[in-house]
Amino acid sequence: MIKVEHITKKFKNLKAVNDVSLEVQKGEIVCLIGPSGSGKSTVLRCINGLEKPEKGNVYLNDELLDESNKSYSELRRKMGFVFQHFNLFPNMTVLENLTLAPIQVLKMTKEEAEEVACQYLDRVGLIDKKDEYPNKLSGGQKQRVAIARSLCMSPEIMLFDEPTSALDPEMVIEVLEVMQELASEGMTMIIVTHEMGFAKTVANRVVFLEDGKIVEENNSKDFFESPKSDRAKEFLRKVMH
Amino acid sequence: MFAAFDKVFTPENILYLAKGAVISLIIAALSLLLGIVLGIIGASAKRSKFFIFRMLGNIYVEVIRGTPMLLQILLLFSVVPSIYTAFTGNVLRINVYLIGIIAMSINSGAYSTELIRSGINGVDKGQWEACETLGLTHLQTMKLVILPQAFKRIVPPMISEFITLIKDSSLISCIGAVELLKGSQVIGAEYFDVMSPYCLAAIFYLIMTISISYLGRYVEGKLAESD
Repeated sequence: MIKVEHITKKFKNLKAVNDVSLEVQKGEIVCLIGPSGSGKSTVLRCINGLEKPEKGNVYLNDELLDESNKSYSELRRKMGFVFQHFNLFPNMTVLENLTLAPIQVLKMTKEEAEEVACQYLDRVGLIDKKDEYPNKLSGGQKQRVAIARSLCMSPEIMLFDEPTSALDPEMVIEVLEVMQELASEGMTMIIVTHEMGFAKTVANRVVFLEDGKIVEENNSKDFFESPKSDRAKEFLRKVMH
Repeated sequence: MFAAFDKVFTPENILYLAKGAVISLIIAALSLLLGIVLGIIGASAKRSKFFIFRMLGNIYVEVIRGTPMLLQILLLFSVVPSIYTAFTGNVLRINVYLIGIIAMSINSGAYSTELIRSGINGVDKGQWEACETLGLTHLQTMKLVILPQAFKRIVPPMISEFITLIKDSSLISCIGAVELLKGSQVIGAEYFDVMSPYCLAAIFYLIMTISISYLGRYVEGKLAESD
């Protein structure tokens, strides 16, 4: 479904992503893990075009993601993106946050968009917050709204960029539960995360990066129980406690 | 010192100065509005992807902010009639109020350009990214997400700009416009005492600036409520 071919992305002189290739099949849940600065977020941002790699290509359903491609924006919106800092629109209510893109981009009527939005809000358990402004919500609630906002565009794949890193510890679980539910419904997901427990139980496959390169890639059971590379062993020793 | 204070302090004179104050206020308000229009154009130019527009925007802002407003007023006052004469051969009977408003608008526009630009730039980059991933166009993002948020940041400094313009409108007295300051000079000449009418003018300026300043604080409080 997603094919990443030899992408390289530099910031100034630092190679944030160095010749990374990756394939994700439909229905798969892939976690990108690794130490800070390993380039995992940049890989994710390159996949949906928030960063433009200097070298290499990204394909969605065998179509090249590039500005020269006529259906570029259409392709991009098939990928939902969830940010570490939620990026909800503070000038709009929760419901307006969800209906904005369906109305503006998919040209739904307000009623249709609201109906869809309410379904998703109900699924993330926040239907009673639909008329609140984002500043009245807790971090966990904000992130659940952000996930619902992405889902309103009926994406084929969801990309999560450290969705729980900005949350207070007691709010992490409510977001992970929503993600777990999505996973169980068969949504294709690529997740950058530091939640090793979640990666272990939910991911089909784990990709471990360091210094912009893929160091190890394996199904999650084998990765966590018997990592092959020394780097991964050392990383796991530090984060699993 | 205040030789003729009791003679100056008559209802007619106070009414005359109040009229001058209203003229100052109108000139400042019109300049602010036209300046905002220029500011929107200037800010768009400075944010343009075309180098030439960015350059023009920069030149506008730097030239206007780097020269005194009094000079700009005097220059426009002398340049416009001479251009008119050069092209038509006729002598232009110039409206000093109009020239004053145009000069002040051009001046205020440069400051508004920076206020609007920094207001837009102050909106979190993540807002652009969220819109991008949802498939909104640049224009939709600007109109529906960025500008409503930038507006809140722009309003408070715009109110300070208004106060500045009320004070600076006194500068157009030097090309012959009779506003609050000139009005006080007219009265001063009549009674051979400038000190009393100047003090009265100061009071009128203060009434205008302080009330707008309070209004500004109220608006700021209102805008901050949804943060």
